[in-house]
Amino acid sequence: MIEFIAGYGDYIWDWLPEMAIASLQTLQLMVVSFCLACVLGMIVALLRISRFGVLRAIAKIYIGFFRGVPVLVILYWIYFALPEMGYEVLVISSYTAAILGLGIHGAAFLAEIFRSGIESLHRGQMEAALSLGMTPAKAMSYIILPQAIRVVVPPIANYTVGLLKETALCSIIAAPELMLRAKDLASSSFLPMHAFVLAAIFYYIMSFPLMRLAEHLEVRMGAGR
Amino acid sequence: MGEFLTKLWQWSPEVLPVLWFATGMTVVVTVGALIVALILGLLIALMRISRVRWIRWIALIYTDVLRGTPALVQLFIIYFGLSDLGIEFDPVTAAIVGLGINGAAYVGEIYRAGIEAIHKGQMEASLSLGMTPIKAMRFIILPQAVRIMLPPLCNYAILLVKDTAIISTIAAPEIMFEARRLVQATFMHSVSGQIYLMCAFFYLALTLPLSHIAKRLEQAKERWQ
Repeated sequence: MIEFIAGYGDYIWDWLPEMAIASLQTLQLMVVSFCLACVLGMIVALLRISRFGVLRAIAKIYIGFFRGVPVLVILYWIYFALPEMGYEVLVISSYTAAILGLGIHGAAFLAEIFRSGIESLHRGQMEAALSLGMTPAKAMSYIILPQAIRVVVPPIANYTVGLLKETALCSIIAAPELMLRAKDLASSSFLPMHAFVLAAIFYYIMSFPLMRLAEHLEVRMGAGR
Repeated sequence: MGEFLTKLWQWSPEVLPVLWFATGMTVVVTVGALIVALILGLLIALMRISRVRWIRWIALIYTDVLRGTPALVQLFIIYFGLSDLGIEFDPVTAAIVGLGINGAAYVGEIYRAGIEAIHKGQMEASLSLGMTPIKAMRFIILPQAVRIMLPPLCNYAILLVKDTAIISTIAAPEIMFEARRLVQATFMHSVSGQIYLMCAFFYLALTLPLSHIAKRLEQAKERWQ
């Protein structure tokens, strides 16, 4: 054990700043793809509860497909398949591909969360708001959404923990983030154990507050109901 | 679109058998990791409810760290890190061990929730009726606990199937690994989109029945409660 820690000696001061920068890239990747997933997920959720059967079917297929498929398949599709199939326009950087892949995949999960939030409210609330002369958009933004937030926030917090861990997969398509940096350091120093254990510590430092926040929100938002 | 489908049809005799065998490997790893997770998870759950504080702490730290770091990092530590220290696994064993150790953290939480959901008085009541502890377990406690645990365990199995995609990074010959190799080795770049799409359907063929079962189990549980 002491021998293992001593093995860091020559490298640690070079590694720490590099891993810290890579962690910031991981966080950035997470935040941007989270925003994309929220926007897309909201659209899919609204399609899912639409009055038109076709739109509902499209949303259902989207959710079923992307929830049942590993993120890696989507990342491969966006990053390798689209350019290789001859769509030269679609050659994008691995970082953009990572954001798109995580966003598209996450949207399917968030759509289900949003839908459960909207459907948890009684229909009468919407009818009552409309009968008071509100437009559907106003009723949504002043009556329905504020209540739905209590239902959706805890599962969304849990989802962000999962998302943080999913960003590690983006190293497979060489998107610049923590795991890729750890792989580089492992192969250049021939100390894989040291590099990956340090990476795990950095991931844990990032996920620890998120996990505690998720637990806290679950207790707090659950209490008022 | 038409061209895409034509090529899909043309190439499927060459691609499908490869993916079919690779799916077999995915199933083997999923089942293997599930068994490791179910057994190790039970140990973790029993440690979590132990009367000795430091045993509880070990289980708590295990659960939190394994849930707070990406499975990919854990897999790399087991496969690349341990081989650096002289403990070598073949990729499939490393995959089963890695995903199993990772899964034990989730499964342990599911067990614990199941055990804690059943009131203590039930055990006491069955003992006072003259049942042996084993009989009480068999006829009173377990039938209830299983009903509570089965839906989340089934959801975990779905996650596990999707997690197996990452073991392609340590060259375990499962779906994503074989697909990538097919594309690179035979210069089927122009049909890589079709190949990855087929991968998606192979994963869906595994996950959709599972999610159907999960839904049925959930409904059965709600009816019973």
